[in-house]
Amino acid sequence: MERGNLYPFVAVVGQEKAKRALLAALVNPAAGGVLVSGRKGTAKTTLVRAAAELAAPQRLVDVPLNVTEDRLYGTLNLEAAVQEGQRRFEAGLLVEADENLLYVDEANLLRQELLTTILDVRQQGRNVVERDGFSFAHRARFVLLATMNPEEGTLPPTLLDRFGLFVDVDSLQERGNRVEIMRRRLSFERDKTAFRERFRGEMETLRDQVRQARTRLPSVEVSDAMIALAAEWCSRSFCAGHRADLYLLETARAFAALDGRDYVLPDDMGEASVYVLPHRMRQIPPQEQEDGAEPPDDWPDDRTDETQDDAPDTAQDNPQDGDGDDGPEDNGQNKPDGDGDDGETGDGRGTPEPGDTLDGAENGESHGEAPAPDEQVASIAKGFFVPPLVWDDQGDRIVRRGSGKRSRTRTDLKQGRYVRAAQYDGKTSDIALDATLRAAAPYQAMRPKQGCAVTVTRDDLRRKVREKRVGMTLLFDVDASGSMGARERMGAVKGAIFQLLEDAYQKRDHVGMIAFRRDAAEVLLPLTRSIDLAKKCLETLPTGGRTPLPEGLEKALVVLDGALRKDPGANLLLILVTDGRTNRAAAGDPVAESLSLAGKIAKTGVPSLVIDTEQDFIKLGVARDVAAAMGAQYYTLQGLTKEKLLRIVRRAGRPAGR
Amino acid sequence: MERTAVYPFTAIVGQEEMKLSLLLNVINPLLGGVLVKGEKGTAKSTAVRALAELLPPLDCVRGCRFHCDPEHREDWCDDCRDAWEDAAEVPSDWCPMRVVELPVNATEDRVAGTLDMETAIRQGKKKFEPGILADANRNILYVDEINLLDDHVVDILLDAAAMGVNTVEREGISYSHPARFVLVGTMNPEEGDIRPQLLDRFGLSVTVTGEHERENRIEVIKRRLAYERDTDAFLAQYAREQEELAQRILAARKLLPKGTIDDDTLGKVADLSLALGVDGHRADITVIKTALTNAAFHGRTRVERDDLLAAAKLALPHRMRRRPFEEGTLDWDRVTEILA
Repeated sequence: MERGNLYPFVAVVGQEKAKRALLAALVNPAAGGVLVSGRKGTAKTTLVRAAAELAAPQRLVDVPLNVTEDRLYGTLNLEAAVQEGQRRFEAGLLVEADENLLYVDEANLLRQELLTTILDVRQQGRNVVERDGFSFAHRARFVLLATMNPEEGTLPPTLLDRFGLFVDVDSLQERGNRVEIMRRRLSFERDKTAFRERFRGEMETLRDQVRQARTRLPSVEVSDAMIALAAEWCSRSFCAGHRADLYLLETARAFAALDGRDYVLPDDMGEASVYVLPHRMRQIPPQEQEDGAEPPDDWPDDRTDETQDDAPDTAQDNPQDGDGDDGPEDNGQNKPDGDGDDGETGDGRGTPEPGDTLDGAENGESHGEAPAPDEQVASIAKGFFVPPLVWDDQGDRIVRRGSGKRSRTRTDLKQGRYVRAAQYDGKTSDIALDATLRAAAPYQAMRPKQGCAVTVTRDDLRRKVREKRVGMTLLFDVDASGSMGARERMGAVKGAIFQLLEDAYQKRDHVGMIAFRRDAAEVLLPLTRSIDLAKKCLETLPTGGRTPLPEGLEKALVVLDGALRKDPGANLLLILVTDGRTNRAAAGDPVAESLSLAGKIAKTGVPSLVIDTEQDFIKLGVARDVAAAMGAQYYTLQGLTKEKLLRIVRRAGRPAGR
Repeated sequence: MERTAVYPFTAIVGQEEMKLSLLLNVINPLLGGVLVKGEKGTAKSTAVRALAELLPPLDCVRGCRFHCDPEHREDWCDDCRDAWEDAAEVPSDWCPMRVVELPVNATEDRVAGTLDMETAIRQGKKKFEPGILADANRNILYVDEINLLDDHVVDILLDAAAMGVNTVEREGISYSHPARFVLVGTMNPEEGDIRPQLLDRFGLSVTVTGEHERENRIEVIKRRLAYERDTDAFLAQYAREQEELAQRILAARKLLPKGTIDDDTLGKVADLSLALGVDGHRADITVIKTALTNAAFHGRTRVERDDLLAAAKLALPHRMRRRPFEEGTLDWDRVTEILA
């Protein structure tokens, strides 16, 4: 269906950066398309849809999030096959997008393999089809437009830097602007036609400007000096690869064309750099940090501010990014915000450098004065750095595919997104009708008709392959004994857990928490998706009393067992935080009991992580022994902050996610 | 199937905010729906289902699967456009506005629509079989326990809610149709969070708690017992109140387009958003629209302070800019101060 009566581009108040980026992308497809990132309610989608009106008669081809491969790439034309017995290719969205605009809303939520293909095709300008017995290539030149809301996680750097332009939008803070936005929106909703009429003249002018710029573009020359400038800037901002240089020049050409010139000025380059550089800057290598961090002094003055703002931010948000972008595909998938979304809010809560973590931990606790004689509640030491968790799926290729949140898994239930069809295996009732009919179509001429247009045999049957996003389930087993309260250790522990929770929040994981102290272990929080509850639990968690480690482990075993029985495919992770100084009133050797329980936990196959908080002069090393018995990854609290990634190895033995 | 009796909306004791938020959405479907948060047994579902009885009739193109509005051609589906081009007129009927339920375990093909199996096999033709979103166009889409909805179904809702169009590019089908609905969701926050992007799609949000006053609790039980003992008599008892409320809704709908708002009021709303640090611009716009609707509900065309207060209470709490874990609480004293 057509979408009539859109909100006009020129009626959007403010957002000049986003508007310029969109115009550049429309004028010059070689600029590499644009990704508009912003929180909710910042007119992202409105802008992109409105921009498409400027490119008429080109149209906006939508890629919905639940697109299936046959519709994206194209497939056998069913009607032609059945009715006329002809093998004809039915165009997918990539064909429709040729000479048009392709739009992906919420690009960070699209299946990454599809987004990768779209980006590939855009770069090549052609799509190679090898599907359903078809083998050919077609042209696919389009302007790629995408939007995303970084609140639900962002794109990995490898995908991010394949968008030519990137622009961050935020809501306008000026009162007058906000009033104007309300006024326009109200009058638009009351009478769309009249509202559009009001802006028709301005729209016409802008449309002409785009049209003329497009005509002019082929004749816009780039001088050698500008090429040298592009190379200089890109290398100084540590952009990976050479794409940046090209996108920079192409974007500058678009700006020159919009300005009605045949030559590129340094100002064009400066403006282009605002959109081309920020999202592809890499972490500055340490040895060059001292002398190389200064921005090039030949950067245009009025642009440096913004570019600089983004630069350190991008570097900080990807502390683990130094190992390059050529790693395995899922290396990049679990990284936290890489696009610097909170760069401009300046609330000072960005991920700190690993170096200042322990200081931060102590600061956070210093105001937790006057502890009660037996019990105390440590505040959360904020700014504690904990490296992100990354699954290392050894021998589990199925779960590796695709991404989005933590991982995806194939599912045999009738739940999840239908991603493709496969030969029927006789086991499921989840038949893929479209694929089955396509499989049957070529044989219709030979088969006896039974009152239907299509006769389907068993060999034609195809089933749906579905995929479901799976988050992790993090179970925290926390030692809250008096010894943990000593030397302000609990603040740091809470800080570490807080970091993991924050990560879990973005990935929509489940969390649970057990605390053990005095003579018992208690499930403070059953497994839930409400991270807010976990946070409250953590805040009010008191320390005091003995360390009943065996009870703590036993409780963990019970919770894990329950979770596995409920969903054998759950991605569980046990995180044990203790100083290992176990003692209790009950009889028996607590260390021996702990080790035996740890062995049982190892048998469940649930991966685990032990964070050892023992800081006493004479170390007993019980936590380390428990970790060994559990087959857990072992870190000391201090050591934790030095890691780049917490690699969680999913062991063979328990089929994860199947 | 015979239509089962529904507990009358007007017989629900207390829960004034929830009732108001639902009524405002019926009067003005552009408000963006409501999220009702609360524990079990707080009449959330009862209220939403009861709303069905009060809904005004819709003017729909005859036979249209998406009940297109004959008055708004720009929102028409392809069928209606074709019909118009053939005949230059489309007949229409009055049909009731409905509450369409989306069960939490719904599969994506049922939600978005899919390939019509019968037509495909019998005639070898591809035909789009509409799903729940087609039913929901111009109606109320009700999702109980919306926080438990599968992520991929939420994605479909987000796509549709963004532009009021459901775009299907799957299973060999390429189709799009209007899907403008009033989204009403209920959730129990103890069972987990709702995704921020989905949360933002709700125009209003209310938190309901059980009645704590003894008198009210007794009244709740009494009415429920009376309803169950003799449903017909109970319905008859509330028939007049129901009719009055339905009339009031119709009157408010007529009054709404005449509502006016001055720049001073707009400025106050902007101040409110800036002072409280809300996310994005949708908050401002929703507050204004809610205030206008509330004024119409009270038979006025001019927005007064009370309208703004009511609107702020319903539209702002879930839009407070919050970091993960930080409670997005609404500082009510500041609100009253700014709107003074």
